[in-house]
Amino acid sequence: MQPSPPGASTDRRSLLRLLGLGAAATVGATTLAGCSKEAGSRGSATKADAIRSVLPTHKPAELLKPDIPGEGPIPDGYLSYPRTLVDAVTEQPGRGGPPIRTMSPWWGPAPPTVGRNSYLAAVNARLGVEVDPSLQDGTTYADKLNAMLGARDVPELLSAPNWEVDKVARFSDAVRALFEDLTEHLKGDAAAKYPYLAALPTGAWEYSVWGGRLYAVPFPTDGPFAYALFHRADLLARAGLTAPKSPEELHELGRQVTDPAKGVWAFGSVFEMVQQFFGCQQTWRRKPDGGLEHKFENPAFAAALEFTAKLFADGLVHPDTVASKGADEKQLFKAGKILMYQDGLGAWQGMQGERVKELPSFDMQPLPVFGAAGAQPVIWGSEKPVFYTFVRKGLGAERVDELLRVLNWCAAPFGSREFELREYGVEGRHFTRSADGSPVPTELGRKELGAQYTHIGGRVPVKVRSGDTPDYVRDYLGYYQKNIALMEKDLFAGIKLELPANWSKIIQPTDDKIRDILRGRRPVGDLAQVRKEFLAAGGEEGRAFHEKALADNGR
Amino acid sequence: MTAQLSGTGPNLDARRRRSRRAAWEEPPTAAGTVAKGVVLTLLVAAVLVPLWAVLVTSLASRDTIDTAGGMVMVPREIDPSAYVTIFSGGQITRAVWISTLVTVLGTTVSLVLTVLAAYGLSRPGSVGHRGLLFFFLLTFLIFPGLVPSYLVVTGLGLKDSIWSLILPSAISVFNLVVIRAFFMNVPGELLDSARIDGAGEFHVLARIVLPLSKAVIAVVGLFYAVGYWNAYFNAVLYIDDNDKFPIQRVLQSYILAGQSPNVSGAAVSLPGVTAYPPTLAVKMAVVVVTVIPALIVYPFVQRHFTKGVITGAVKG
Repeated sequence: MQPSPPGASTDRRSLLRLLGLGAAATVGATTLAGCSKEAGSRGSATKADAIRSVLPTHKPAELLKPDIPGEGPIPDGYLSYPRTLVDAVTEQPGRGGPPIRTMSPWWGPAPPTVGRNSYLAAVNARLGVEVDPSLQDGTTYADKLNAMLGARDVPELLSAPNWEVDKVARFSDAVRALFEDLTEHLKGDAAAKYPYLAALPTGAWEYSVWGGRLYAVPFPTDGPFAYALFHRADLLARAGLTAPKSPEELHELGRQVTDPAKGVWAFGSVFEMVQQFFGCQQTWRRKPDGGLEHKFENPAFAAALEFTAKLFADGLVHPDTVASKGADEKQLFKAGKILMYQDGLGAWQGMQGERVKELPSFDMQPLPVFGAAGAQPVIWGSEKPVFYTFVRKGLGAERVDELLRVLNWCAAPFGSREFELREYGVEGRHFTRSADGSPVPTELGRKELGAQYTHIGGRVPVKVRSGDTPDYVRDYLGYYQKNIALMEKDLFAGIKLELPANWSKIIQPTDDKIRDILRGRRPVGDLAQVRKEFLAAGGEEGRAFHEKALADNGR
Repeated sequence: MTAQLSGTGPNLDARRRRSRRAAWEEPPTAAGTVAKGVVLTLLVAAVLVPLWAVLVTSLASRDTIDTAGGMVMVPREIDPSAYVTIFSGGQITRAVWISTLVTVLGTTVSLVLTVLAAYGLSRPGSVGHRGLLFFFLLTFLIFPGLVPSYLVVTGLGLKDSIWSLILPSAISVFNLVVIRAFFMNVPGELLDSARIDGAGEFHVLARIVLPLSKAVIAVVGLFYAVGYWNAYFNAVLYIDDNDKFPIQRVLQSYILAGQSPNVSGAAVSLPGVTAYPPTLAVKMAVVVVTVIPALIVYPFVQRHFTKGVITGAVKG
């Protein structure tokens, strides 16, 4: 045997001593344990009453009458770009304070920073205070956020996507320790000082409350539905086919259009939409006895699973989707290699506008929603805001006021000069006008704009017609208006849930097992086993947690 | 080494020239040769086809890509517009420059620190070397958490500085162990003779040990250089200033641009965010730019590879 190298040997006691030292250092450090879902986190829920009492009084700020008025969570629609704009903010928001560091997520190449970016210079001149945005990659935002929260190192304005916030354990502790309580600034009529923040929908504000206090300015969603099932209306029409009205017709259509020899398959990912067609809830629904039923316990889920597994088994799903999670279904759809796939409705306008330039016949449409075997379909969705903007704690009331005035400017509605400057930059530099008056970004505009002000300010969402997608606004709002009645009622609307750690931990492993069943690696009959494991490993704990949250709120 | 094994006789030498087969081995069957050829061709294809697809896609027009439904295998035209796009923005040029700086500076710093530490730890009797080595090896077992690392880096004022991309990963213990093992194989008599001639430790290291260790230094240098060139996570954490992003961080933002965030249970609509994602050609052009330096450097260091690593590994 080779002698061990000098120094490498040690005895058990010295190792333990060292480890003990390490543990003590960890406990003593001034870090928040907000890095990941800790084992043992039991979750928490804030009551709806406590939330309602701290919300700003909602005052709509409509500068322009919409052509298609939205209702509830559906945005207003405009079929033309206004010829004249109004000044929404007359007083400069900046009070000459020091530069404001912000951080917000961005999914794309980062635009140039202050000093080399004429768009930032133009907006900052109007604000009267320098905003210095740092755009961080949206896909790794959680890592960055965890490190920053743990180290208590946050910028003055921090924008965080709702799904990242949901991943941080004990976020309500972090919020209290790091961010300014905005309740006194924005509660009730106090919000009138910031009219465009007061105009943000109440449904979005409800989610910005932690521990009964208002901690963030929300960035409302521009459409509450989680998914739509997009199909290539142009290709179906060319093949003389019509949109299916039942699962059987959907399967039959899939069989007719799939042609592996031509590299064409009917479907990409569709499972979440199939569940909705079959009338399955997103997560929980109420049983007649008042208790909660998880979707795995709903026979509709089993039926949707069986149906979708059959689509896979019959070879109607594109092999890229079968093989991986990361299939670029957008590309496949644009190329006509798949005819249907599910995506957020936010993908619609960008893809339509881009592809129609090369393929004028390109027409993507959400498939009309239908039910299975006489059952009503449901549509998943919520009014949860896309982002929250937090203000760093301890800046003093005057500075907080200045920051809120800046956010108010950033929330200026459609039809104002502020909106145009924020969304498109300076005319002639960052955009030109098309014949109908709507702005068309220039190369410089595309390079320099990165939603630096949009993502921190919230805004009342609107849908505006643009030249390259003339029918989009009508189609989009039409789809919403037709289906909004089917949207599942959120049992927990207005209750702030921080889910127990065990619950969060079982989601992914269970999703993986369901994926295996869909792809035929496990028989459909295994669902019973998967359900049993799910309930044992945290599902029941989750049920108890959710039932308690409802009971506490008298629901 | 093979020459010694295969003997010295003229006949054997002549046979060796015709075939590398040992004298006692059967000649390969035709089927075996074909099978071997097929396997090797497949392996080479597995490496080259993706590279080919990346290159061809980066030079394809948007219409070609959309018609192909993704990566292009058969070039229809050569369209350099993707390269024009990425180099006109200034961001890629700057990021390549920063990555080059980090790689050169980082590799230098890492090599100096690792060689000095390895030399000290390879000499029996140097002060505290047992404890120090144990301390180094402990980092194999216990990784400092994300938050403590972040606190140290920000506490030292390194945030938004290129040193935050270098210092946290300046010493790789694996490389340290490899170099130390190599140093321990340098015959003690050589060092003693140098000392008798009046050389101090630094002199011994510079004049005797390092010249004998060129192979391992080259290999470890390559490990470090490739590591620095490819690193992006430190940049995600420590660099807020978009102008100081290294190339891999920029590459990541290009590749993932326009993808819907992956959220369990819902596809997220991001209003205004995905309006102008870079085309696939632009993404692939950035991939080409990031891959090229590694492809250029590799062949030059490759010849040291086996010798450098194997020696350090088996004689430790």
